[in-house]
Amino acid sequence: MAVRIENTFEVSETIGEVWALLSDPRNVVGCVPGAKIIETVDDRTFKGAISVKVGPSLTEYKGEVKIVRLEEQLHLLELDGRGQDVRGKGGASMKMTGSLEALDGGGTRVTAISEVNVVGMLAQFGGRMLTDVSGVIFKQFTERFQEKLKNPGAEIQGADKPIKGVRVVSKALGQSIRRALGGSDEPR
Amino acid sequence: MMQTSPEIGGMGHSVKRKEDARFIQGKGTYVDDVHLPGMVYGHVVRSPYGHARLKSINIEAAMKVPGALAVITGADLAAANLAWMPTLFHDKQMVLATGKVLFQAQEVAFAVATEQYAAADMAELVEVEYEELPVLVDPHKALDADAPILREDREEKSNHIFHWEVGDRHETQKAIQGGPVTAKVDAVFQRCHPAPLETCGCVADFNKVTGKLTIWLTSQAPHAHRTLFALVGGIPEQNIRVISPDIGGGFGNKVPIYPGYVCAVVASLTLGRPVKWIESRSENLQSTGFARDYHMTAEIAAERDGTVKALRVKTLADHGAFNAAAQPSKFPAGLFSICTGSYDFPKAFCEVDGVYTNKAPGGIAYRCSFRVTEAAYLIERAMDVLAYELKMDPAALRLKNFIPPDKFPYQCPLGWTYDSGNYPAAMNLALKMAGYDELRKEQAEKRKKGELMGIGISSFTEIVGAGPAHTFDIVGIKMFDSCEIRIHPTGKAIARLGTKSQGQGHETTFPQIIAQELGIPQQDIVLEEGDTDTAPYGLGTYASRSTPVAGGATAMASRKIRDKARKIAAHLLEVSEEDLEWEPGKFFVKGAPSKAKTIQEIAFAAYTNLPAGMEAGLEAVHYYDPPNLTFPFGTYICVVDIDKGTGEVKVRRFIAVDDCGNIINPMIVEGQIHGGLTEGLAIAFMQLIGYDESGNVQGGNFMDYLLPTAVETPNWETGKTCTPSPHHPIGAKGVGESPNVGSPAAFVNAVVDALSHLGVRHIDMPVTSWKVWQILQQHGIA
Repeated sequence: MAVRIENTFEVSETIGEVWALLSDPRNVVGCVPGAKIIETVDDRTFKGAISVKVGPSLTEYKGEVKIVRLEEQLHLLELDGRGQDVRGKGGASMKMTGSLEALDGGGTRVTAISEVNVVGMLAQFGGRMLTDVSGVIFKQFTERFQEKLKNPGAEIQGADKPIKGVRVVSKALGQSIRRALGGSDEPR
Repeated sequence: MMQTSPEIGGMGHSVKRKEDARFIQGKGTYVDDVHLPGMVYGHVVRSPYGHARLKSINIEAAMKVPGALAVITGADLAAANLAWMPTLFHDKQMVLATGKVLFQAQEVAFAVATEQYAAADMAELVEVEYEELPVLVDPHKALDADAPILREDREEKSNHIFHWEVGDRHETQKAIQGGPVTAKVDAVFQRCHPAPLETCGCVADFNKVTGKLTIWLTSQAPHAHRTLFALVGGIPEQNIRVISPDIGGGFGNKVPIYPGYVCAVVASLTLGRPVKWIESRSENLQSTGFARDYHMTAEIAAERDGTVKALRVKTLADHGAFNAAAQPSKFPAGLFSICTGSYDFPKAFCEVDGVYTNKAPGGIAYRCSFRVTEAAYLIERAMDVLAYELKMDPAALRLKNFIPPDKFPYQCPLGWTYDSGNYPAAMNLALKMAGYDELRKEQAEKRKKGELMGIGISSFTEIVGAGPAHTFDIVGIKMFDSCEIRIHPTGKAIARLGTKSQGQGHETTFPQIIAQELGIPQQDIVLEEGDTDTAPYGLGTYASRSTPVAGGATAMASRKIRDKARKIAAHLLEVSEEDLEWEPGKFFVKGAPSKAKTIQEIAFAAYTNLPAGMEAGLEAVHYYDPPNLTFPFGTYICVVDIDKGTGEVKVRRFIAVDDCGNIINPMIVEGQIHGGLTEGLAIAFMQLIGYDESGNVQGGNFMDYLLPTAVETPNWETGKTCTPSPHHPIGAKGVGESPNVGSPAAFVNAVVDALSHLGVRHIDMPVTSWKVWQILQQHGIA
């Protein structure tokens, strides 16, 4: 089950400030709910883990993140990630391209294009669900990333807590239902 | 056939179903209703990957769950030489994975605990490490040079399973090349699943003291399963008792032996406690026997007047990871060679290649005699394509090419001998019921206004009742079936059969056959099936074989009893046997009807007042070997309207004329037809067990694998003609699968017909609104 997810958000910080934060995977991972870096293999390869809690079952993916491209001039970052649930319930791989663009007013536009391929139970929900779930996770990521930009030194509250899959899934399901009923994607 | 009184309730009476009293009150006993003292529960750990190497399994965390008893892995089974088991079709399959996994949801480990939820928790905690391997989901790529080889266990390093062909390749090719008119269609009969109301499961109870293993099993073929457990497990067959209690639908899904059954048996043998395993809906859809997945091409050559000359069929069969097709062992593509259908083709050739892919194993006969559904769909689609080529009405083309009624028994070019048929009669009745000419006029008018309406015809021929011992066996066991009847002193009776009802109404219909033959009121006869310790050996219920085979056995056993009854009656009436005449329920002296003995009086005498030298009792058993298969048929007509804006197809009318020979219970036949048509509707418009390129199942739950409800189901208009089978003891042919076999083509033909003026010649099932809308878009209509 492969899906392509494109996300864009804008921040008021300068492109230099944003790049400093984005180009270090330790910072990026810190903003992903439930994710942590366990081991730095070399300056471009990291071993990490991410926990997703769906109902009573906690799924912990372990894997590797590699920086494939890091181009400061272009403000372009390409990451390759690959992980497996430690209990063998499935796996996921992701290729993410992040790029920055300076805005006229001094701010920055962040664009992230992710191609996610999921194998296992989650994949059986189909693309509609996966796209929506990713959307919710990315929204949380965006909030944390912006918080970190404003306050680089601070530890993010609850960053190491697992992603609450139930909430994520039910939120995404709500979006699917609203869409099916002809409503907009935005929660009312 | 002599009509019995309503009190006797023989053949032809719409006797209400006896079994329904308990079913509608929730008093049935299904496998999950079996509760035994000390019973524990199993849960299967399944692979998330379509193809991966198994690196390690760690059960430590799982065993810490309160109530945990054991986790069985493939390595444990390998030590007992049980990691693999034979399939029903010349292959083997893994019980629990060793080495690697070959499809998503494959069985990897079996967790056992004192509580059902604890077993599920354990399964969550079993840690399995995998190394992903390239996945093969497209059967068309299975034989490519760079395709991953899935089955490392096989000597042949290829994904090719078999090649099978029948007919005259050379002559057929010549005829096809000669035209003058040819039609060709590429049609996929998609992978679908019977999805019975009750999923599969078992309770295995090994008694260490007596050495007896009792298995309550969701089984359509309990005797065959007992023999397989004996052969594979090495348990003496007298020590195995398989009980199929009430079964909530089977449709072929409950013919194979599944790994979960074997694991429960192993766990019970190991723990000495009863072990229950019941699969979930998703497990059922994702891992148990799927149906179809035939990728077919048909070519027809015809004269300009529409007379067909030759049929050529080439098919690629996707069998998944193991060839677990449930079909007679001499037929790798089942009875697919019935693909010439109802038409008099002078020449024909059919070839099938089977391949492995990273999908669940199976190839079971879903309400189908071993691929007749695929065959009927293909020929009925191809005939429509030919009609468009010829610019001929599809009904007229069919009428022109039907095997004429006076040509039966008919020898078809692919080897079958059709027993009887009157195809024009069924077709003409269906056309009349539909008001066909008016419908065509209406369609022409609507087309002028830009409205989309279609009429689809399917005039199928079935092949059921497998089968004659000289040709038909499953893992070597001949496909006879059996009936044992015992008449009690008071004239009441019990009958036991080798078949097993899963909702077909056997408890009602088989007593009606006995009532017809012996005149004992049907309500005085109890029917028992499914317990291998009591019922005579039989091959079970699937492929519409119960009536053609076990129905034959029931009639023959009844006649053995009647023969003895005649002797007793002669003794009681002090006349010779030749002086007696029979009418259902009594023997009377020729010319003196008042001098009579009823079957009840005779039964009492069989225990109290026998002629000298005669054995006591009144009972018989018969193992019936059918001389031939039976060939039910019918014509279905479907009328659809298509919404131009959304592509939504609405089935406005559906006319089904069936001919299944003599009918035992018209109400039950009607019910069978309604059910089969509803399943056909679902296959045609809604259902697909799809896989994405990574091997993830895309139809593994009821959110994606849709079932029709009363909302989607149209009103079925049924009619019948009656052409008895000349070789069957009661002239019956079987009906259960006909509506599922015949209807998919009618639905698809109707949709294609509605779009034919746009040049549309074929749409693969499921024909979703999305597919139709895309076509309308392409033509600038939607």
